[in-house]
Amino acid sequence: MGTGSNRALFGLWTLFWLLMVVVAVQDNRGDHGTQWWEPYLWEGSSCVLATCWLLLERRASNRWNEYLAQPWRWFAKRLVWLPVIFVTFIVGVYGIRHGVYALTGETYEHDSWPAVFFYESVKLTLFAGLWLGIIFGLASFAHWRLEREQLLRLQKHLAESQLAQLKAQLQPHFLFNALNTISSLMQVDVERADRLLTRLADLLRASLQASARDMTSLREELKLLELYAQIMQERFAGHVALTWNVADDALDAQVPTLLLQPLLENAFKHGVERSREPVAIRIAAEKHGPDLRLTIHNNGSSLSANSGMGIGLRNCRERLELIYGARASLQLEQEGNGVLARLSIPYT
Amino acid sequence: MMRVLIVDDEAPARDKLRRWLAEQSDLSLVGECADGLEAAASIAKLQPDAVFLDIQMPGMSGLEVAAQLEPALAPLLVFVTAFDEHAIKAFDLSAVDYLLKPYDKDRLHKTLERLRGRRGEAPAASATAIRTARAQTGSSERLLVPQGESLQLIDASSIHWLEADDNYVHVHTAQARYMLRRTLSDLLTQLGSNFRRIHKSAAVNIAEVKTLSPLFKGDHEVHLRSGAVLRLSRRYKDELVR
Repeated sequence: MGTGSNRALFGLWTLFWLLMVVVAVQDNRGDHGTQWWEPYLWEGSSCVLATCWLLLERRASNRWNEYLAQPWRWFAKRLVWLPVIFVTFIVGVYGIRHGVYALTGETYEHDSWPAVFFYESVKLTLFAGLWLGIIFGLASFAHWRLEREQLLRLQKHLAESQLAQLKAQLQPHFLFNALNTISSLMQVDVERADRLLTRLADLLRASLQASARDMTSLREELKLLELYAQIMQERFAGHVALTWNVADDALDAQVPTLLLQPLLENAFKHGVERSREPVAIRIAAEKHGPDLRLTIHNNGSSLSANSGMGIGLRNCRERLELIYGARASLQLEQEGNGVLARLSIPYT
Repeated sequence: MMRVLIVDDEAPARDKLRRWLAEQSDLSLVGECADGLEAAASIAKLQPDAVFLDIQMPGMSGLEVAAQLEPALAPLLVFVTAFDEHAIKAFDLSAVDYLLKPYDKDRLHKTLERLRGRRGEAPAASATAIRTARAQTGSSERLLVPQGESLQLIDASSIHWLEADDNYVHVHTAQARYMLRRTLSDLLTQLGSNFRRIHKSAAVNIAEVKTLSPLFKGDHEVHLRSGAVLRLSRRYKDELVR
């Protein structure tokens, strides 16, 4: 139950007891046999004990709220305490009343104890039923609101990451720059331009196919990465060197499609395109116990300069979390004079 | 003869532009650069009439290079980019020249025609391009200063104060004093609101101001953390304490 509905509950509670006091005072106004303070004492003592029980219920409710979906169990968990409430309430309330009367030198007169016990038990049962109903209503409402909020957040999150994934597949910057490289190459070396154009077509085809599937083998994913790398190497000839270090037993592992491309893209974007010196990129994959471990290292950038690389990385992390929960991890760390992206997913 | 400089970090992209520009009889290629810093140095040294400036480059982007130029001395600029939604929108709005990659010969020829037409109005066209680039990059956090034969980038926050001197501005930092061929008012637009003018020929980095003490006739003395004492003229007082 949120603080908002707790506040509403205690507001109602206060109002209820004020009403009880006013009614009791009004009832006894014409009765000359009672002192002015007596109705205050009767209602006040009841209020003190009832409030103690309400506070106990509030403390326990965090533990018992899981039964909100099963109202009978929710009520049963609480109603089994009724006998204890009867006894503590009667002992407490009548104790206070007798004590105060004794202090003023008077005696508190009431029905016989069995009659009192019967009368108070019936009253308390009705009273507890009424208030548990109110508490249940408030808690259910708060719970429903929280769930709806979470659902909305999750839906928004999902839509965003799907959109970002789509965008990551077709980086317009990459596409147009590659086309420009081809447009330049074909003036001097038609065969090389042709090769590059074919690579680009392969890459487009593969990424269109890939976007239809969620998972693919590492073998397929690496083919796509190589196509991408070949095009980038043509654009930055002499400026970048790539090494692939992939263990054979890792090749058949299932990986989310196009998960690695944004990471390699980051290595190019923050390493090769920002550095004036030639850059070396190392890509490695291996099976490590129950996990598949992938690393992409570039020696041309530093993490501080990378601070702007949020979207691609965040998108990767969100996909990993959606697919693997806490069993996958993606970390960036400074290593030597470069940045290392370290990815670990369950080997399946 | 129009003297042209090519700036692009990708060799194939430079090759293509070089080949096509060589076919123009009224153009001469004065140089090629592969990154922003090199471009800024070449622009200062070679003083070309026009520069084809790629936007996405290592070190300093093409927009950052443009932001560092003094409009009165700057060449005509043609921005070249593969994809840059925001920048392209801004270029269109203020009629700044640009080329979208890939481009064909016709498109390049149109751009060259516009360049030839703009030679007469060079300072105004360059100023528009520089202003547009600055609007894209925001206040410069780094300033390009001459260092011996070459150029270097210093943090704007390391600058204590700026002093105008005819056509030059002296940039005072803790370690050194640099002399730039810039006007003070243009430098202040580039550096943004952390720098405020204190009289006609001086401006301070407000983070460096320690105290103000009154002089006669409404003038004040500005004491900098570095110990330097400068005069604050009455006219600029409101601007400084704003």
